[in-house]
Amino acid sequence: MAKNEVAVAGVGLSKHVSKRRDVNIAELVWEAVNACYEDAGIKPKDVDAFATGNMPAFEGVNMPEEWGAGHWGAYNKPVLRITTGGTTGGSVAHGGYYLVGSGLYDMVMCIAFEKQSDGNSTMGLNTVALADAAAQLQLGVDPSFIAAFGGGAVGVAVYQASSYMKSSGCTTNHLDKVAALCRNNAALNPYSHLKQPGLTPEEVAKTTLLQYPIRFGHVCPATDGACAMLFTTGEKARKLTDKPAYVLSCASASDEAALVGIAGSGTTNVDPCEQESCKIAAARAYEIAGIKDPRKEIDLAEPYAPFAHQLLMFYERLLLCNEGEAPSILDSGSMNLEGELPVCPSGGVISTNAIGASAMERVAECALQIMGKCGERQVKKEVHKAVAHGWGGAVNLNVVAVLSDEPRR
Amino acid sequence: MPAPRTYWISSRPTGRWDKGGDNVDKEVAIIAYAQTKYEADANASRELQVLEVTVAALKAAGLKREDLDTIITANNDYLDGRTISNMRLVEPSGAWRKNESKVEMDGAFAMLYAVTRILSGDHDIALVVAESQASVYGTYLPGIMMLDPTFDRQRWLLNEVSAAALQASSYMDAAGVSVEQIAGVAAKNLENAALNPVALRSLKGADAKKVLASRPLCSPITELMASPLCDGACALVLASAKAAAKAEKPVWVKGVGFSHDSYLTERGSLDNMGSLKLAAEACYKQAGIDDPASQIELAELHECFAHEELMAYEALGFCDPMQGGAFFDSGATKKGGELPVNTSGGALGANVACAAGLTRVIEAAMQIRGDAGKHQVKGVKTALAHGQTGLCAQENIVYVLGGE
Amino acid sequence: MGAKAGKDPVPRASIPLNPVFNWSVGNWMEYFYDSLKEGKIMGSKCPACGRVSLPPRMICERCFVKVEDWVELPATGTVQACTTASVKVAENGDLVDLEAPEVIAMVKHDGADTCIAARLESKDASVGMRVEAVIDAGAANVLDLLAAYRPLG
Repeated sequence: MAKNEVAVAGVGLSKHVSKRRDVNIAELVWEAVNACYEDAGIKPKDVDAFATGNMPAFEGVNMPEEWGAGHWGAYNKPVLRITTGGTTGGSVAHGGYYLVGSGLYDMVMCIAFEKQSDGNSTMGLNTVALADAAAQLQLGVDPSFIAAFGGGAVGVAVYQASSYMKSSGCTTNHLDKVAALCRNNAALNPYSHLKQPGLTPEEVAKTTLLQYPIRFGHVCPATDGACAMLFTTGEKARKLTDKPAYVLSCASASDEAALVGIAGSGTTNVDPCEQESCKIAAARAYEIAGIKDPRKEIDLAEPYAPFAHQLLMFYERLLLCNEGEAPSILDSGSMNLEGELPVCPSGGVISTNAIGASAMERVAECALQIMGKCGERQVKKEVHKAVAHGWGGAVNLNVVAVLSDEPRR
Repeated sequence: MPAPRTYWISSRPTGRWDKGGDNVDKEVAIIAYAQTKYEADANASRELQVLEVTVAALKAAGLKREDLDTIITANNDYLDGRTISNMRLVEPSGAWRKNESKVEMDGAFAMLYAVTRILSGDHDIALVVAESQASVYGTYLPGIMMLDPTFDRQRWLLNEVSAAALQASSYMDAAGVSVEQIAGVAAKNLENAALNPVALRSLKGADAKKVLASRPLCSPITELMASPLCDGACALVLASAKAAAKAEKPVWVKGVGFSHDSYLTERGSLDNMGSLKLAAEACYKQAGIDDPASQIELAELHECFAHEELMAYEALGFCDPMQGGAFFDSGATKKGGELPVNTSGGALGANVACAAGLTRVIEAAMQIRGDAGKHQVKGVKTALAHGQTGLCAQENIVYVLGGE
Repeated sequence: MGAKAGKDPVPRASIPLNPVFNWSVGNWMEYFYDSLKEGKIMGSKCPACGRVSLPPRMICERCFVKVEDWVELPATGTVQACTTASVKVAENGDLVDLEAPEVIAMVKHDGADTCIAARLESKDASVGMRVEAVIDAGAANVLDLLAAYRPLG
């Protein structure tokens, strides 16, 4: 349990679109940070520390805060850079939790972003494969094949989706329904990228088949966007806002294993849909948060799902149901905005994916739903506890946070 | 459908510490550490270097991988030449299936993150590992990649060395410091490095003349005044007060402070280390230091370039502003002086990007524990360690460590 | 670990990667470059504290306000810091010797509060020296518009 209560007192988001040619990286991020200061009602002088991250491969800038942090109110302040790939936004949020929870820094501005249009998204994703490139080259694999195959793009997702569908009974129709659900939710979210109000599963099923079972409509966009969150003590949060969102716990588990490994002991013969580390991280997070039965106690979930099947897969891996039950839970309508356990009311990563920011935006949405600030997409039920998740690495890095409308006693 | 599996994570009893937020005294301790030898070319993968220090640090701590609660690694995508550079370090750093994260700055900042994880009460034992290999990356390219991409980056004027030289020029003009004094700092550290078995570069018989005569880079900086970027890794184990109770000679984190300076062309002036001063103030407040020159018995400073050490004396309050040169001339920071600085040789002896600052923490801890072998200074109870990241020392972090 | 006598060199793989980035400069820097094409040096001026940034910045980092005022600055300025570079960074990241030394300076234009990195066309340079910018308004690449600096007078 964090020594101090940790709470979110403000959230800021930039507009999320595919190309922001009118602003440079620092200026794009300013939009989100400025919105967060305004949301929380504080000024830069009130902030004790900053935590920031993005995924360097996409902008090609080393530590962009060195140039940009002056735009974010970090003048003469402590700045900590946390970058963990696809989980970056979540890792930065976890950083905020610990910086405040330690008792050393009372107000922490957490910033996560990506300006994918400055780089080449495919190239950026393919560089994830570089982790194993040396080993692959040694095995005689052609470098151009490695570059084309990619590490984080459709390649991995296809195996993962196929395996998940086989073990769970999830069908392509479920994938279409997930995409439709998310894009409809996104239409109600002013900060989302792909808004498709009224999109039907049938329309999704007609989009181009990329690689079975994944269609174009099942895949996230590449987005320019930024997210900022103000983490602070429970006491200060209560002064700043009527309904703070308390962060009860943060946990993670890293299950990345090398292709070849040390002395050839490679352990990547792991089914990418197993996501054991997600289950471990979730169990840890629930335990610290004092949650004994997540299925009953969690009111809302924001799993990180750039591909449609992942929403269902991670719903299960977050221990919200038995393995294999998520497709039928989707069918029941429980995951809708008006349902028993709404999933991705923000529209999810499948609708908006500024990679470095995405895992933080899951935490942000949980906080906003608890705070009742979601306008048209505010879920019907009262949100007491919510779980936010981030996924990344090549296949197996998972981060989980549990938020609540009440501090832990 | 298979029955639901419940995960029981053995949770350590995490008591609520009742101390106030400002006081970290005796809440976190360094209980073990390890360094590789620092080499121009380690002829080993970074995974093996990380494995080496992880295994050695755990062994020194008397712990097993299972005992680790959290691991923070310090490494950089551009230095390692791979996206999500921590991803494949999960195994060799003992982080498999554990709470692991990465700070893309010097390891001394990763340590700060680990300290907060322990202070939060959620974790008792943390491992911090830092690494990079200059033999792998284009040595001075990552520094250029930190520049403003809308202007400076592609004008090819500023780089780590020219930027440092510009700072040196500004400082020398403002403080009246001479190039001989700067060379003297380099000579001191390089001579000290001769007694440090892991250092890469050393110069027996302090010879400022040899430093001045070495390859000119960007005036006033000559090669021996610039730290040698090289290969290596280091690690340390942090423990909460409860976990440290069983440890031999824990080194307590008495205080920590860090801060960030403006982009190098936007600072009011390059002639002082503003963020180091702010970092020190925050650290000293926690550690109860109001007279650093007399209360600090030894300091390990992260001097990427020799003139930075003189500037650091001032920012850390060891002497008055603009008096760094005079303070050096007094002999106080020599090995036998009142406030020895960089008896390990400092970064001038070996600079592993992302690790050199964490190395300073380790060296300071070694001094307190009496572990420093040939470069041991007697009777050190309170030491200061400094780490930096960025061009012209843009980010700075300061620790005060204590044996009691 | 480490290079030992008799130990085989560890195999190395070099992966050729040539990513191309296209960084949006943003409206402030765009105005800066467009102005240089007209021979003008424009700095941004904070409405709250009056601090003038060159190159311009959308946000004043001290006041955290949006900067929408502009000031035309003279080409003249003062050297705040300078160095004679005997080396440059090669494409592979190594420091390679320059054929002829180059003088690099931080110049504060008259009226500006920040510095601009400059190549100084002069053998000697010293802090406090007066210099002026040479604008090549017809340069094809915006980065070459502010071509160089030379001693004043």
